[in-house]
Amino acid sequence: MRKFRLKPQSVLLHAFLLCFCVLIIYPLLIVLSSSLRPPGNMDSPLLLFNQFSFASYIRAFEKMQYPKALLNSILTSGASVLVIVLFSSMAAYPVSRIKSKTSRFLYYFFIAGLIVPSQMVVVPVAQMIGRLSIPNNRFTPMIMFITCSLPFSTFLYAGFMKSVPVEIEESAYIDGAGLWTRFAWFVLPLLKPATVSVAITQGMWIWNDYFYPMIFVTRRDQFSIPVVMLQFLGDRENPAQWNILFAACVLCALPLIAVFAVMQKQFVTGIAAGAVKG
Amino acid sequence: MRKAYSSLESLRGLCGLRICLAGSRPFKREVNSVKSRAKRLGLNSLTFPRRMYLFAAPALALFLVFWVFPLIQMFFYSFTNFNGINFNYDFVGLKNFVNIFKDGTLGNSIRNTLVYTIVMVGASNLLGLAIALALNSNIRLKTLFRTCCYIPALFSAIVVGFIWSYVYMPRSGLLVSLITLVGGDASKLNILGNHKVALYGIALVEVWKGFGSTMIIYLAGLQTLDENLLEAARIDGCNEWQLMRLVKLPLISATITINVILSAIGGLKAFDYAFIMTSGGPGKATNTLMFNVYRIAFNEQLMGKASALSVISFFCIIIVTVLMLYVMNKREVEL
Amino acid sequence: MKKLIALMLSGILIASLAACGSGAAAPTAAPSQDSPAAAAPEEKIVITVLDSGSAQENDFETETLPRLISAKYPNVTVEASKLPDDQYYTALKTKIASGEAPDMFRVAPKGAGSNSVITLAEAGYLAPINELGIVELAGASGTDAFRVGSNVYTVSSGVSILGTYVNMDMLKSLSLSIPTTWAEFLDVCQKLKDGGIQPIVMGDKDMYVMQFGMYQLAASKVYPKNPAYDDQLRTGETHFTDTGSWDTVLEMYDTLYKNGYIDSSSLGISQQQSQQMFVDKQAAMTFDGSWSAPTLRGADFELGYYPLPGNEGSEILCASMAPGSNWAIYSGSKHIDACKNLLQYWFDGESDLWKAYVDADKAVVTYGYGSDRVDVLFQPFMELYNNDRAYYWCNQGWPAGVENEMLAKFSELIGGQNTTVPEITKAMQRKFEEMVAG
Repeated sequence: MRKFRLKPQSVLLHAFLLCFCVLIIYPLLIVLSSSLRPPGNMDSPLLLFNQFSFASYIRAFEKMQYPKALLNSILTSGASVLVIVLFSSMAAYPVSRIKSKTSRFLYYFFIAGLIVPSQMVVVPVAQMIGRLSIPNNRFTPMIMFITCSLPFSTFLYAGFMKSVPVEIEESAYIDGAGLWTRFAWFVLPLLKPATVSVAITQGMWIWNDYFYPMIFVTRRDQFSIPVVMLQFLGDRENPAQWNILFAACVLCALPLIAVFAVMQKQFVTGIAAGAVKG
Repeated sequence: MRKAYSSLESLRGLCGLRICLAGSRPFKREVNSVKSRAKRLGLNSLTFPRRMYLFAAPALALFLVFWVFPLIQMFFYSFTNFNGINFNYDFVGLKNFVNIFKDGTLGNSIRNTLVYTIVMVGASNLLGLAIALALNSNIRLKTLFRTCCYIPALFSAIVVGFIWSYVYMPRSGLLVSLITLVGGDASKLNILGNHKVALYGIALVEVWKGFGSTMIIYLAGLQTLDENLLEAARIDGCNEWQLMRLVKLPLISATITINVILSAIGGLKAFDYAFIMTSGGPGKATNTLMFNVYRIAFNEQLMGKASALSVISFFCIIIVTVLMLYVMNKREVEL
Repeated sequence: MKKLIALMLSGILIASLAACGSGAAAPTAAPSQDSPAAAAPEEKIVITVLDSGSAQENDFETETLPRLISAKYPNVTVEASKLPDDQYYTALKTKIASGEAPDMFRVAPKGAGSNSVITLAEAGYLAPINELGIVELAGASGTDAFRVGSNVYTVSSGVSILGTYVNMDMLKSLSLSIPTTWAEFLDVCQKLKDGGIQPIVMGDKDMYVMQFGMYQLAASKVYPKNPAYDDQLRTGETHFTDTGSWDTVLEMYDTLYKNGYIDSSSLGISQQQSQQMFVDKQAAMTFDGSWSAPTLRGADFELGYYPLPGNEGSEILCASMAPGSNWAIYSGSKHIDACKNLLQYWFDGESDLWKAYVDADKAVVTYGYGSDRVDVLFQPFMELYNNDRAYYWCNQGWPAGVENEMLAKFSELIGGQNTTVPEITKAMQRKFEEMVAG
């Protein structure tokens, strides 16, 4: 790295970036500061951190039934990501290895899945779930999480897989390894960057999604965090309720922020991985 | 909505199909002999036999059952008067399509969607690129700045909707309070209540949440630039502006195209903030295509008509996407 | 190896389809939930309920009701959840489509809204409760709105009122009294405005609140002249575009915006916020329903409630009152009998649950405990009601899309988008015909 020199240009650039970032996170600061006030405090939210109390958090925590919701969120998101990684890497295997019309067709077939926004097909999907007699519980939304994530994940895997040398597998074949062994023990471990990218990008939207759980989960104690957030919808413009609402917002975002803080590097590479050609 | 986001991410994957996972050269040499031997023995169809397709079976099954079939059903419903609840429906031919066209739903929602998309594409790419360029120079606290820009992307759309409802709120919202604080008159400021600016208001929210990801992709693109090449250009007498315009931008043109396409697709599927923040209002000012599909299906109980609008949106999105992919591929070939 | 893989794949496939369903039921804490013989007295059952609205402090539906039901039926656990209106419609519809609707959910009387009893019953999703004692108890007035064909699907425990809440202190400070004609009303607004008080606050960002004012006007303006107006819309004898009907109502309501009586930023204000502003004495009046009384009562001023007078000249003042929405039973429920018991117990007019319900200010009840002591706030309305001078809410007579069209177009009008009143009535008529034609 070059030595840092204090040029006016550089100072200006830093000042600009600093202002810009403050602007970007300012609303979040207000949220954080208001959430740390007790529920009754109706001072202007602009007075940052003028009081410090966890009372609002306690109320939000209780209203959200936070531990239950958190557990539901972790279970569904975690299980979904596992299945997505397994299914999509498996699907990408023949697509990237076999060179035939069938595999090209599969390839484009999966591409098409990117295009349909889900609210178009919600009712037919619900009917299908009814037809298959799949009960509604906290795991039902997983079906849609997985289906919606397959196209991207499959393609990411296919892209990475094409650059895994065929020779590795050929030598394994000659050593007598079967298809599954080759896939699970030779190919998949080489695709770790793809797996990280899939887990992060898909895990993130699944964690934050409120639509499918809202539709497919009936019982209150099976709601995930974003769904319990919905019950605050009426409070969003009611100044008397802000402190609790903002505390709920922080509680909702906290798990993901914590994960981000720990795995920042993976997030950045994971997001960029899909987009930048080597 | 959520799907829009996932597909946004998905397209990133799509665009990176030919990512080079640095295949190690020594290893290649080592296996080369094995390879040629295998070729002689005609092993290729043996190593990758047709039964490999079974690996795609689970994904394919889910895809067929929960994506293809419902989609076919949607096409079917678009010719009926199904209300979403009662399964005694009749075929009404093209009536749904005619109605969408005649009552102005189509024109209004396409216009809103396009405006939203253009604002989003323009703002998030300009911002993302500008910040990425700034961060890519010799900057201290780079990680901190990057994190600040990216943090909004971590929040759930519903939380973002809550926060920005407060920001935009008339009388006691954040913007109003700030303007009043510096002595301005904000009593008339009513962004989400004004049909002229509400659409821009919610598009801005999407930009706030999304430009961080765009920026990270630009940053990754910029970091692949060869420092020697830039140095050579500097020696040739390029100033910073020329350097950016003539060298940097052309070299990351693939990244630019990708980001533009991603934001465009996100914009075409705009739903979340019309749903959470404005309910399509005031009037019909923020009725985007996807929000209209939702509104017609669930508020007006016209599943048939909503399906017809879905079918039209489906083709619109396909056409735009294919067109963009085509352009992108062509440019990639050229580069 | 080949077979092994094939076996594994099909196994995963089956598991993936089934796991989300039956297999996954294992971790849930209520093993009896799926048992068909749930009505047996000892057996623990869970009744799921979906309601619309947002839960308040000490919420009746989500807190009091489950507690009191468990007290009466120890084996029954009520799990009630509330979703905001829009999400409620979406969730209900998709849950029904997937065959997994909650055991009970809120239905609206007649044809009102997306959860109207007519739509749901005609599609076969509701279980009739004809044989229950409460049907007789509630009488024709309490069941007609929930009768489809020969079946009754729930009872209306009382009436819901649309009215005008007023800050009496403000009115008195300017020596004004409650208006009884449209001209008087406009006069009151003008005097309040001249006195530096915002006359009316409305949260028009939630467009449905516009109905609160409009239907009150229509009750005096449209229906006394022709009580069959809505029925005749279907036969083509009347049209929304008829002069002197809805065009007048919309023009009258628009006057309030034109003259600045309703806060100009109303389109950016939500219903919750406007209620708060009313409580905070930032405006003298707001149009709202009787169900908002508990919220508004918290204000530290004398609260008044009166029907917005739409009557001019020789016309008479009528109120907008309707049977309130209530819970009905899902026909696919495994616990239909238990649900019926619950409804019977709740609405029998004398149970602890009924008393709690009445005391929670949930409805203006017409029978049983509480009916003899109508809140003073609702007295003016009950007099009109008892003299047949009340009309149901207009949207109950219309198919779902019409009110939305009206509200969206009217928002355009007050938002300054050059939409005219004739254009609104034309759009309403077109939407009506589209909906009725199916």
